[in-house]
Amino acid sequence: MIFLILIYALIAVLSVPGLIKRKEWREFAAFSVLYIIGFVLGLMYVLDIPIPSPMKGLQHFITEILGIKYPEY
Amino acid sequence: MNVEKGKICSSQLPFLIAGFVQGSALLIDFTVGITEHQTWMVILAGLIIATPVILSYVALIKRFPGMNVIQINNMVYGRFLGKAVSIYYIFFFLMTLSFNIRDVGELHVTFLMPDTPFIFFLAVFAATCAYAVTKGIEVLSRISYLFVLVGLVVPISTFILLIDQMDFSNFLPVFELPPVKLLQGVHIMLIIPFGETLVFLTIMGSLNKTGNAVKNTLVGLLIGTASLLVVAVRNTAVLGKTQSIWTATSFQSIRLIDIGTVLTRMDFLIGIAQMVLIFFKCCLFFYALTVALSQLLGLKSYLPLVLPLAGIEVIIAATVFQSPVDHAGITQNAGIIYSAPLIVIIPPLTLLVAKIRGLRKNEGGKGA
Repeated sequence: MIFLILIYALIAVLSVPGLIKRKEWREFAAFSVLYIIGFVLGLMYVLDIPIPSPMKGLQHFITEILGIKYPEY
Repeated sequence: MNVEKGKICSSQLPFLIAGFVQGSALLIDFTVGITEHQTWMVILAGLIIATPVILSYVALIKRFPGMNVIQINNMVYGRFLGKAVSIYYIFFFLMTLSFNIRDVGELHVTFLMPDTPFIFFLAVFAATCAYAVTKGIEVLSRISYLFVLVGLVVPISTFILLIDQMDFSNFLPVFELPPVKLLQGVHIMLIIPFGETLVFLTIMGSLNKTGNAVKNTLVGLLIGTASLLVVAVRNTAVLGKTQSIWTATSFQSIRLIDIGTVLTRMDFLIGIAQMVLIFFKCCLFFYALTVALSQLLGLKSYLPLVLPLAGIEVIIAATVFQSPVDHAGITQNAGIIYSAPLIVIIPPLTLLVAKIRGLRKNEGGKGA
């Protein structure tokens, strides 16, 4: 948890001042959204909250719903 | 407006492509369990089928020089459909990058440092890739020949050191593979080492000249394929039928090197080489992901997205699969099926639509 907070604090310190100084608000907004997503995912990982895998969902959709799959040998 | 200002020399393109294909040397293990001693044939078949597809990527870039795939999608398909297609590309880059980062973690935890936490490898590796990506495509291109050198020297030297343990009757009988296994093997090869060169649709827009792009792409593909073939032939000749039971065939065959009891335990060499090559591949994927997303969002630069995306990639890589078996199982089915339309159908279709609509951009000029 402490490592996660330290890493994300470091990312903010490295990126945010430059974006604000150059008044790149669009870049700042994109950065903030990804930063929050990354931090929340990191927090869920650290707290052992299950994170749904996109590939599991895709696997279910392709093999079970669409029925496209290779046979198991 | 293109988010990448740097330019790459056209003579560096073969090295970029060769290094990228060589980065998949570890991933041919996905097909070894299916195609066994005929893996070398499947690699060649994958190359033959992939070549026209990859040449369609080059034709697309030659038609729209200086533009990346997101700009091309917007121009060819229009604002809304173009964005939808671009999101498919970005999802593919995001997921494939996470798989490759995970490969490095699995490689270390399984074979080299089993007591170290898995997430540590992922975080350090992603941070290193992020650093390389912030330096830009020019820097990666300039050093690409070094990666290709590693990708050639290590397989060839280990091949020579293992010659006395090779049994070429391991390749017999030829053509005994059931068609469905052959199809799956070729499908894996078409998508993983060769089809993933789709990332070059975001990279080749930075080429200073597109004149020799076809020749340079073919040279790169042939160098990369040669490395994969050396690895596949070496593993089959040394391990024979047993290669399908190992999780990492290259490691297993290299462990058999024993020259006068002095040159032994050479598996670290494969560990280093594979990590270096996957690093190069991940850097190109990471670069493509950040450039594509920045272009989609209409940003001036891709740099602000590099670090937050690295953080997201680490968590996706850590959680996307439960185990190496799960990783192989999903990649051999859903992984290669969902990406097939993006790799095989959409770029040639984009080229066709551009031709029908008469869209093209002259070098240094504006779109028409």
